[in-house]
This record gives sequence, C-alpha cells and structure tokens, in this order.
Amino acid sequence: MPGRHFAKPDLQSIYMSPPCQYPVCTTVLWYTRTMVKNEAIERIAELLDSSDTETANTSMRLPRALRDAAALAVEELGAAPTATTLTAVALRGMLEALLMQAALDQHYGQHPQARPSLGDLTVAAAELDGHPLAGQSELLYQSAAEIVRTHPGANADDVLLWAEARATASA
Amino acid sequence: MSTLILFDNEAVQALGDPNHPKHRRVLSHVEVVAQRRRRAVPVTLAVPTTVRVEAGWDGMDRRWALANHLRITDEPLGPAQANVAAGIRSRTGVSVTDAHLGAVIRATSVTNITVLTSDTKDVRAVAGARAVKVIAV
Repeated sequence: MPGRHFAKPDLQSIYMSPPCQYPVCTTVLWYTRTMVKNEAIERIAELLDSSDTETANTSMRLPRALRDAAALAVEELGAAPTATTLTAVALRGMLEALLMQAALDQHYGQHPQARPSLGDLTVAAAELDGHPLAGQSELLYQSAAEIVRTHPGANADDVLLWAEARATASA
Repeated sequence: MSTLILFDNEAVQALGDPNHPKHRRVLSHVEVVAQRRRRAVPVTLAVPTTVRVEAGWDGMDRRWALANHLRITDEPLGPAQANVAAGIRSRTGVSVTDAHLGAVIRATSVTNITVLTSDTKDVRAVAGARAVKVIAV
C-alpha cells in the first residue's frame, strides 16, 4: 500500500550482536531467523506495492500441460488478456494471501492472546458467508471443540459442515 | 462472485490495538479472508480513508504495521464520492465517516458487500438501496 510504513528491522546490528554465552543457547539463531523472516515480509509488501511496471524474462519453468491450459483459458474462455497476465494475477493473489497470513502469524507470535481459536474462526466464517448458523455461536464453538478432537487439522469450513450436519440431525 | 469487506471506525481501532476487547474478533474475520484468498476466492478488504483518519490509522506509524500488511485497500473520498457522501449526511445526519462509507457502498460494482461495524443501524441507513451484510464487531 503506497504511503504506508512497514517496520524495517536492522539486520546488520543483529548479525553483529555478540554470541550468547551459553554453549547450547539458540536464542541468537532463533532471533536472527525471526528477524530475517520479518525482513522478508516487509520486502514482499514493498515489492507488491511497487508501481514499477517494468517486466523481466524469467527462467521459471512451468509444466507444459499447465502452460497449454493457461493458453487455452486465455484464448477460449477470455480468462485474461494474455497468459502472462493470467499468471501474474494468480501469482499476486497467492503472494498477497501468503503475506497476510505471515503478518498475522508474526502478530500472534508477539501477542499470543490475539490468535483466534477454531471456534472464533468458525463464527467469523459463518458470519462472512451469511450462514444460517451464524447466530448460533454456542453450537459453533461446541462443534469446533468436538471436531478438533478427531481432526486436529480441521478448518472453519469443516466445522461449519459438521455443525450443519448436527443441526440437521437434531431437527 | 467477488466480495468487498469494509471496515468502520471501531473495526479499524480493534484491528490496530492488541489490547482492544474486540481485537481477536476482528482478526478472526481477517484470518478467514486470508485463508480464502489462499484458495483464490475473490475477496477484498477495504477502508474509507476518512475512517482511517477517525481511527488514527497513520500508515507511516509503525504501530499500524500489522494493518499495513493485511492488503486493506484505501477507498479515497474523491469529488464524486464527496458529493454522494454530502447528500447521505444531509439526509440521515450520520457522521462524515459513515457518510463516506455509504458513498463507497453505493459506488462499488461489487455485488457482495460486507461491513464490519459497531453501528449496524447507521450502516443500513447509509447503504440506501444496496444490499449489505452487516457484521457487528
């Protein structure tokens, strides 16, 4: 976003900091990695906000089938003016989503209490979707607690589906 | 179908302040948006610039670094939108920020509009004939 500030960590001073006194201490390594990741987040944000329209040839290799599918989508479906545009738009979308999640994760690292629970995310997803169960937060929190016992990797949409099935079964 | 999610003043304040009682609730919505964008679901976060002013969101202030990274686009108050906002404010008596919010809602070509707000009544008043999903934070 042009005109917005992104905190810039001072990597030079981090690299030059004296090593930890304890033989098995990994604090400096952890700190350095964290700061490098933070620096990457800042740089990605700057690059995505750049108004520079200069293009560059890349040596990126795409699977041939994917390239041909993109060409067909452009020619026959009007997905974008060119396959290059289609690729760039898709890449930008994914990078922006990754940046958002990285920024959130960075924030949760500094403020663990800010991290939403699966129940919180389910309520939010239901509200954003206008789901019929959006007003039944108790059911959604309960469903989240239930599903996570057997499916630790469940997401908000999984919980919503489970809650809907429960509501239907009990109707 | 594309979705536009707009922030009002308290939603922005909650987003920017880790100690705000609604901080986690607003982040829940932002995180769901991030997850959906990873699945290429077309959803955009936006904020009227007058809302940013009222909430104190200075994009050059490092305290707002999180908000600056969340790909929340500015909706500026240009001449045309200022006219619409002035009309909304005259008719409804809402604040300048709510009038600007209404102007954004009325101007967008996006069909699915959602507003994260602490004032559901005013948002419905400024939306006019546009269908808006209002989420109370």
